[in-house]
This record gives sequence, structure tokens and C-alpha cells, in this order.
Amino acid sequence: MDLDFSKEQVEFREQVRTWLEENAPREIRPEMGPAMREYDLAWQRTQWEGGWAGISWPQEYGGRGLSLLQQLIWFEEYGRAGLPGIDACFVGLSHAGPTLMTRASEEQKAYHLPRILRGEVIWCQGFSEPDAGSDLAALRTRARIEGDELVVSGQKIWTSFATLADWQELLVRTDPEGSRHHGISWVICDMHTPGIEVRGIETIEGGAEFCEVFYDDVRIPLENVVGGLNNGWSVAMSTLSFERGTAFTANQVRLASTVEKLIDLAKERTGPDGRRPAIADDEIARRLATARAEVASLRAMTYAGISRNMHRDQPGPEGSMVKLFYSDIAKKVYRLAFDLLGADALRFVSRWEPGGWSGNYLYSYSVSIGGGTSEVQRNIIGDRVLGLPR
Amino acid sequence: MDLLPTPAQMEIASLAADFFGNELPISVIRERRDAPVVVDRRIWSESAELGLFGLGIAEELGGAGCELAEETLLFRELGRRVVPGPFLPTVLGARVAALAGQHETASAILSGKATVGLALRRGPEGFDAATTPSTLDGRFQLLDAADSRYVLLVDPAGAALVETAALTDVRSEPAIDPGIRLAEARADAVPILAWVGTQEEPIRLRALVLSAAISVGIAEATRDMSTEHAKVRVQFGRPIGVNQAIKHACADMAVRAEAALSQVLFAAICVQDGRADAEFQALAAKSIAGRFAVENASATIQVHGGMGYTFEHDSHLFLKRAHVLEHLLGEPADHLARLVAQPAAQ
Repeated sequence: MDLDFSKEQVEFREQVRTWLEENAPREIRPEMGPAMREYDLAWQRTQWEGGWAGISWPQEYGGRGLSLLQQLIWFEEYGRAGLPGIDACFVGLSHAGPTLMTRASEEQKAYHLPRILRGEVIWCQGFSEPDAGSDLAALRTRARIEGDELVVSGQKIWTSFATLADWQELLVRTDPEGSRHHGISWVICDMHTPGIEVRGIETIEGGAEFCEVFYDDVRIPLENVVGGLNNGWSVAMSTLSFERGTAFTANQVRLASTVEKLIDLAKERTGPDGRRPAIADDEIARRLATARAEVASLRAMTYAGISRNMHRDQPGPEGSMVKLFYSDIAKKVYRLAFDLLGADALRFVSRWEPGGWSGNYLYSYSVSIGGGTSEVQRNIIGDRVLGLPR
Repeated sequence: MDLLPTPAQMEIASLAADFFGNELPISVIRERRDAPVVVDRRIWSESAELGLFGLGIAEELGGAGCELAEETLLFRELGRRVVPGPFLPTVLGARVAALAGQHETASAILSGKATVGLALRRGPEGFDAATTPSTLDGRFQLLDAADSRYVLLVDPAGAALVETAALTDVRSEPAIDPGIRLAEARADAVPILAWVGTQEEPIRLRALVLSAAISVGIAEATRDMSTEHAKVRVQFGRPIGVNQAIKHACADMAVRAEAALSQVLFAAICVQDGRADAEFQALAAKSIAGRFAVENASATIQVHGGMGYTFEHDSHLFLKRAHVLEHLLGEPADHLARLVAQPAAQ
């Protein structure tokens, strides 16, 4: 039991901090459209040029191949620097890229991985469908084989950044006779292919990244299948074992600094009685203190998970506990911010702007839905952590 | 950085756990419900022989020379088995006596000859952080002081050890938890035998962490009891754990236990290493673990249904102890008020 970082790790933290201070983008991130795409790609390119791209990617794929603790340090500093998430680059760096590393052919890896790392392309995800959400294996988007092509018809939904993406990791049903988990294929889809139509879905915070994607006889080369035809379910599941408990750290550090900002805000703003500062209100002070305690324990939980993963090759299902706990806390924290503002909360400020509490409050409703709902996380914890019967 | 206990640390905890399992099983609480003290002298002496009271005290002061980390793991086992007896004030009392140079008192406590009860002050805190107090005054609630030679008081300014016999108007009270003994008492200029101020030693932070560690054990044990019951209890032809209403309740208990355990280990290291944010982390640990122990213990009664409401079942013993722990060393609202006033974590 120790919280000590070695001399090398401390120096590494200094390096990261200095590099981020000197190279982080200073402009506010554009909210949508090609300008946002350019912003995210430019930042990724800067990281590549500075030698910081793919900090968790193995060196053989051009990444930094950092140890778990170095990854933790990177993400802590990244969060501390107040930088935006990797957003539009997320699927490429943290989802499609790792899947390709594990299951793709040498040609596929050689083509795609450097482009993701260098910030040249945006990837999006094509998994969920209107009738296949938490029950992903119910997906129905069909792909029939014609010669050396797949011909795809169907619909995907909740695809973030589809309007801006170059590539998509797409799950299609290639064998309609196969059982639910068989007969699915994981395919690299060029988003510029004829027959693809993307429609935006506006979110409750006015966000424009969400999309639905329609496929009308979209022709994809058969060689774009990853991991073998009809093996898509196992390919999709293989991504899950890549993340070993660090990638979420930046979000947590951001949440911790949000709580600190709220405490400062509560000292400046007049409280609910209209006379004293908000921090003098017992209820608000207790909610702030509780948020501090919970955010602290979330960090400790992440450290515990990383400590556990240092002693084994494959991460365990405990990551679901961090995700579930984070979602609960984030929603409480942004609700508290909203309550602190009183009637000022009624004025909408986007989460990308300074003081964007109302935008962040609305956005917080997505954290217990995206990336597997909190209910699905509870199922995973029940089944796989506790071994409860299904 | 490695937050998890080493195998050697776990071995100490598991030796203690075996001892508690054999000598102080939960059934003792029910069997000795009406006895004046829950833990008899013989078992207390054996606990002393095992070195449980001086685990974290330096060897030159008569202890085993381990750190707060090991003590934290020991106290987690106390919670997992809802072990009765004044372990918390005894371990802390021995430390106060040893650090204050009261070696005879320390050795009487460490050898098991003298036990230490816990005094909870009624009314506002009385000690001035700037001076060393020589006497104790005020009204107190006493825990497990029925046959104790000493009682320990832990205030933000420091910790004081006094003789139980010097207290007046001692009146025993029925306790919500059959595993503790409760009394009321007053002190009029009672001499303080040993005093350790917060400037010399973070004794209160240590107390917060150890109390939180017991709460962690309760949160874990109740998670395990609920999960086990959900696997074996069959209704409508299936184990009740297949139902999301039960499964999700168990999953929430797992998250609470994991969060509490992680934070308490984190805080133990911060206090042990004297980190600048030790108080922040200890208060967070006490707050999180205390609350989550109560929530898990409440949930376990519900998962066990009618059986969970009976005296015969263990659920209520965990719930009652969890509530007792919530009120030790300051009230939950007081801990939160102190936490929000801290500088940000490191």
C-alpha cells in the first residue's frame, strides 16, 4: 500500500505538465461543424508532432506504449490542464484503433493506425440501432455478399460525429440464419461511400454531434471486414479488454476541479436566503462537501483499479463500477451547480463557454446513458463482479 | 503507487480474522446480550497476546512497529465480522499513553490488563488547541466503558486519557446495538493521565481512518451477505438474484463497498505519510465509509426480506453498528463542515 511515484515518474509528470502548458490549444473549442473537426484534428496532430500521440498504444503501432502509471499521470495532468476531452478523436484512438490492433490484418493496420495517430482522420461508431440499444446483439442492419463486396442496408443511431467522420466501425449482420451473436461482422466503412445518408439529432443541450446514419445498398469491399466474416461480435468485445482503467481519469480530474470551482462559486454568490453567500447555507455546504468526498473516493477507486490491473494482463469487470459511480456523481455535481445558480440557471450557456453550468447540467443526463447505461453497468457488476445468476 | 495491500499485509489481517472468527463470532453478541460486558477477560487477554492493540505502535514503545496501513486492514476485519469490544479506544488509548510517556499505563493496556472505553462529548468541544489541558470537564456518553479502567476522548485539539473511576454520575443506558455498552457520565476537573495534541500527532485523523475502516468492513460484509442470499433464495422457481430489482441493489452495494474501501486505504496512506491533504482525505473517508456502511446494511435487511427483520439474523447487527460508527469522533454534519472548509486535495 503506497501512493509514492518514483523519481522517473515525478520527472515524467513535470515533462507532461510543461508540454501541455506550452502546447495546449488556447482557443475555445468550436461547438460544431468543420471548425470543430479541424480543432480536434489539429490538437491530435500537435500531440503527434510532440511525441505524445497514443500514450496507451503499443510502440509497434506508433504509440508511446507508456506504463499504466505513466498513463495515469498523463491523464491526470491532461484533466488538470482543463483541456477538452478528445471528443471527435475518441472513437479512433480509444475504440476503433485498439480493435484494429487486436484483430485487423497487417494491411488494415498499416493503412489506418498511422492516420488515426497523426490526426488525419475522424472515426465514428456504427453499433446501436433503433431496436438494438442495450441489446446490441439484436442489430438488424444487413450486409449481403456480392462478389468481393458487401452491400449494406439498414440504419444506425446515436452515432456521434457521423457528419464529420471519414471512417466508421460498423457492425452488420452478414448471416441472417446465424443466432444473435453469430453472423455479425465488424467492418471498416468509408463514410464518403454513395448510399450513406447522415441526419443530425439535436440533443437536450442543443448539441449537434449526435446522428442517425442510413445505408441504402452501400458497397463496402469485402476486404474491409476485420477479424473474419461473421466474427464481429467477438471483435467488438475484444476492444473492451484494451482499456485498463486509465482512460477515464481525465474525466474524473475534470469533475474534481468542477467541484472546486463550485466551492469558489458558492463563496462568491449569494445563497438561497438572498442575504448570505451560498456557502453559508448548510444544505449547499453539505452537498459541496459530499461532492468533495465522493470525487475523492472515485479517484481512490481508480487508483485501486489500476493497482489491480498492474498485477494482471486482462482488466476485470470492475471498470463498470468506476463508470457507474462516476455517472452518479457527475449528475449530482452538475445538478448542484444548477441549484447554486438559482434563477440565473434559466439563462442557457453552452457547456463549451466559460460559466456553462446550465449546458453542463443538461449534458450530464448523457453520462448515465452513453457508453452503456447505468442499468447495463449494474447488470455487468451483478453478473460478472458478484457472480449473480442471470 | 500501489493502493492494494501486499500479501504480507493481508496475512496480518487474515490471522486476526481467523482469531475473531474462532473467539468472537457474531453469535457472541446475541449470547451475551444481557451480560455487563460483551467480551470476556480471557478473550481480551488473548487479543493482547496476539499483539492486536499495539500493531501500529513503534517497537521501542512496546508495539509491533507496523504502520497505519496494517491497522486499517485489521479494523476492516473488525467490521466484516461486526466484532464486539472496545478495540478502537483501546488501540488509540495505548497509543496516547505510549506517546505521552505514560509507559505503565501503555503496558497495562497493551497487555490486556486494562481496557479503554470511548467518551463522546455532549455539547461543544472543550479543549483549546493552543494549550495542554490538565483536566477534563463536561458531560459524556460512554461506549464500552462498563469495566474499563480508562476512557479516551478524541477532540479536534487532541486526545485525552482519564480514569473511568474518576467520572461521576455514571448511569448505564440501553443501547440500540446489543454489541456495545452505553452509559452517561460527567467529569468535574478529572485529571488527564495522558494527552496527545494534534500538533504532535494526527491522532484524530488516525481515529477517523480506523473508524472508517470498520465501516468499510460492514459495507463489504453486507454486500457479501446480500449477494449470497440472492444466489440461494429461490422464489417463483428462480434465485431472486436474477431479478434486476435485487441484482441492481447488490451492484450498488458493490460500488459503495469498493468506493469506501478505496478511499479508506487512500486516506490511511495519506495520514501515515503526513501528506498535506491528510485531513481532507481522512474526513472524506469517514464521511463516505460511514454513510455507505449504513446504506449497505439497510439494503441487506431489505434483500433478506422477513428474515432480515428478525433478531436472529445478523443483518440488524451490521446496521446498528454502522449507525454507532456514524456518531463516533464527531457527527457526520460536523465532518462535512470541516471537509468543505479544507484546501483542495493534493
